[in-house]
Amino acid sequence: MSSATPPPQGAADDGAHTPSETVFDKGLQPERTLLAWRRTCLAFGVASLVGMRFTVDALGLLAVFAGVIGGGLAVLAYVLAATGYRRAHESLRGRGVLSRDGLPMLAGTASALVIGVLCAAYLVAGLLAA
Amino acid sequence: MTAQRRFPASVYREGEEPDPRFSLANERTFLAWLRTALALYAGAFALEALSLPEAVAWRTAAALVFLVLGTLCAGQAWRGWRSTEVSLRRGTPLPGLGVGAVLVLGVVVAAALVTIGLYA
Repeated sequence: MSSATPPPQGAADDGAHTPSETVFDKGLQPERTLLAWRRTCLAFGVASLVGMRFTVDALGLLAVFAGVIGGGLAVLAYVLAATGYRRAHESLRGRGVLSRDGLPMLAGTASALVIGVLCAAYLVAGLLAA
Repeated sequence: MTAQRRFPASVYREGEEPDPRFSLANERTFLAWLRTALALYAGAFALEALSLPEAVAWRTAAALVFLVLGTLCAGQAWRGWRSTEVSLRRGTPLPGLGVGAVLVLGVVVAAALVTIGLYA
């Protein structure tokens, strides 16, 4: 991508790349964080589907419903992680500031706790059936 | 995104903007705790789903320990992220990791419960 606009202040200009194509950090911190989000989403998605597989005999349609919703939310989070990375990359390259807050973290914690509640319900159901 | 509008305000009204690389590292640590929580929940689920061990009392006890540890990890993920971010912004020493000891102890106890249950 070649453009006539000058690079923002503070951007590395090696003549070969526009600023948006160069990484912010040689340690690839934003990229590693994106990968961490991706594997977390993958873990949540797999957990939803495996949970569905093991409860479908007992719970039927309810298990399918919960599994598909869990998997869908994981896919949504995966996509949001990509847009979040893009936004972080742009703001870091442009202003050197990380434009991010605690909402994704709160959502992640809530998702984990919801899985915990479902897990507890499964244990209780097993006890009642025994 | 202005400082006032960032959530949670109790974090972002403190101190100054830290090196973005440290914030990103803090975020990855948060995610690692979240995956640990998920793994522990999966442990509790797997014990019940696979009826391992078959003795109900031992199995339930071990699954309960995993369940509590998973919740502890999810709590640590959020609490740790918050307090580390505040420390980074204030430039104060990072918080310690007391939860780690509880976690190690808990996993050992859960493994012991499963083992006893297998031979009980």
